[in-house]
Amino acid sequence: MTLEAVNAPQAPVVALVGRPNAGKSALYNRLTGGAARVGNFPGITVDVLEGTAEVPGAGAVKLVDLPGVYSLEATVDTGTDEAMARKFLDAGMPVALVVQVLDGTRLGLGLRLTRELLARSGRLMLVVSQVDVLEAEGRRLDAAKLSQRAGVKVVVVNSRDPASREVVLKALSEALALPPRAADPRPGWNADALAAEVLTERASPEALERRRLTERVDGVLLHPVIGPATFVGIMTAVFSAVFYVAAPLTDLLNAGVEWLGRGVGAVLAEGPLRSLVVDGVLAGAGTVLGFMPQIVVLGVAIELLEASGYLARGAFLVDRLLRVAGLGGRSFVPLLMGHACAVPAIMATRIVRNPRERLVTMLVVPLMACSARVPTYALLISAFFPAEGALFRALVFMALYALGALFALVAGALLRRTVVRGQGLPMVLEMPAYRSPEPGATSRAAVRSARAFLSGVGRTIVVASVVLWGLLNVSWPGAAVPAQDTPTAALERSIAAEVGRMLEPVTRPLGFDWRINVGLIGSFGARELMVGTLGVIYGVENAQDEPQPLAERLGRARRGDGRPTYPVATGLSLMAFFVVACQCMSTLAVIRRETRSWTWPAFTVGYTYGLAWLLAWGVYRVAAAAGLG
Amino acid sequence: MAVPVPAPSPPAPAAPSLDTFKPGDAGTIVAIEVEPAEAGLIRAMGLEEGESVSLLRTGMGGDPLHVRLGSGGEFALARPLARMVRVQRAP
Repeated sequence: MTLEAVNAPQAPVVALVGRPNAGKSALYNRLTGGAARVGNFPGITVDVLEGTAEVPGAGAVKLVDLPGVYSLEATVDTGTDEAMARKFLDAGMPVALVVQVLDGTRLGLGLRLTRELLARSGRLMLVVSQVDVLEAEGRRLDAAKLSQRAGVKVVVVNSRDPASREVVLKALSEALALPPRAADPRPGWNADALAAEVLTERASPEALERRRLTERVDGVLLHPVIGPATFVGIMTAVFSAVFYVAAPLTDLLNAGVEWLGRGVGAVLAEGPLRSLVVDGVLAGAGTVLGFMPQIVVLGVAIELLEASGYLARGAFLVDRLLRVAGLGGRSFVPLLMGHACAVPAIMATRIVRNPRERLVTMLVVPLMACSARVPTYALLISAFFPAEGALFRALVFMALYALGALFALVAGALLRRTVVRGQGLPMVLEMPAYRSPEPGATSRAAVRSARAFLSGVGRTIVVASVVLWGLLNVSWPGAAVPAQDTPTAALERSIAAEVGRMLEPVTRPLGFDWRINVGLIGSFGARELMVGTLGVIYGVENAQDEPQPLAERLGRARRGDGRPTYPVATGLSLMAFFVVACQCMSTLAVIRRETRSWTWPAFTVGYTYGLAWLLAWGVYRVAAAAGLG
Repeated sequence: MAVPVPAPSPPAPAAPSLDTFKPGDAGTIVAIEVEPAEAGLIRAMGLEEGESVSLLRTGMGGDPLHVRLGSGGEFALARPLARMVRVQRAP
């Protein structure tokens, strides 16, 4: 064992730096075999992956994959990937070696970042990737010349080639053995000129044809007519996959959890403990697992869109549209996916590079009419408009969807002008060359998003589920228990019921009584639970699966004076409330995970409930004035 | 990038902005008139004074602008930003 190893028990840190799409992640996966965990670094609020690589001669090194950056010197906003990478290199753990990954086909652009890295002291090594594409395009890179001119070690690889691993590891070992360099604030070369100097052209007709590949594909995918049509097609495919591929898997997982619940139910005696385990803990775990298929499917889809280069094209097509809402083209995918479920959609906001646009996207995604709202809408429509036909119901559904999307855009525009003002990043996006995605990298990205959700969000959801169970199942202190106890009586004396009664003065202007308030509290676990909770209050069993009897009970309910408890105005107001309110603990848990703070989930609750109250109040007043009260 | 940008000589008033380009037009960037921190990042991305630029196409309603640079990089610029990029048209 060397003296150095004794003095430094920690493995030396090797940080990977590079522009977005430079091939950094491919190299990282190649070196670490894909095994990665999200590192915990103080002050770094984006996911930084770390893994281990065995470097010959130097032993294990800790490889850290920093987010893709254009610059370390020019940082416009503290939340950008640029600022995070800079913070890591300035104040993070001591970095033994910085490895910059450059895209060989856009070498001049990558060398701009090299100049900035040379201006810092310490060991630096360059890995020029995509050499296969470079050669297919009829260009040859003189690595020795580049190394000599830049004054650092240079290796040229095709990260897709398994043999590249050995080449890079050997180079890492040599680079780590070199003494740290002094800072060179003014390298005596220009990035574009050096790129031209080290690349030699030997273009054949095939090579010239290959160079035009991206241009030709863009001619189709960005065509004024074919482009938008293809975009709609691709987005429909992604959306359908999240909806229809994930849904059966989710059902399967839920069936598994239910089976487990029955097993536990058989072992434990009937009583509060069994209820806590089955309806609190296991239900929470079931909720967490239920999200996994959607998260994995969307994770795969996004990795494919990003790695292929299509995401930038899609963003180009819809950028102008979303700028109306203070967002950019990259927010489109999360906003669209919000119609399936806000949870994977909020995780998908990672593709938005501008931190302020990303934050606002997260804050407005919960307004989209997600699939969990559908059963509630269906119940409300059949309860309050029993006589209306299918066309009417379809129109109401469409109106509710449209309202959700409209409010999201309006809220986005308002938030970008008030709470989350400012530019964050210049309004320019790189259009990378098209590449075929690597299957290995795609599957690893999916595994990573699933793991991030399980470890970062899962616990919060289970805890929230248990708290919610307590609200709905624990009696308010001092409440009398009748001789003939029923689920309805138990719920009526629960903490939630008492809170629901206390909230009546606040919700009366909206037409909600305490029962609806309890339903709203119950639906916090998942919106569709509104139906089940109201079912328990009205003594209707299995209301989730058979909402019709509950709908009839709600329609028949009368107040003391004989007038309906829930007139049409209440139904409309409740629907309006549901459109806007973020009635979902899982959404809040995932916002907490992605913003790493409780401030933004709290803000989401505050603004959506405030807005929901105002909207429901307005709807109730108008409907009551129109004689529907 | 970290090279000192040539002393901010005021651009010739005649230099049109990039947003006057039609698809197919080409020229050279002569000035980027945004605040320094943002300009620094734009330059680091590759949009620099002296770089040749051509407009490939525009998006919906003429926005954003898809440009290619002499260095080989391609970018989508929102029109408000393109308005602040001064270019010398190629003859």
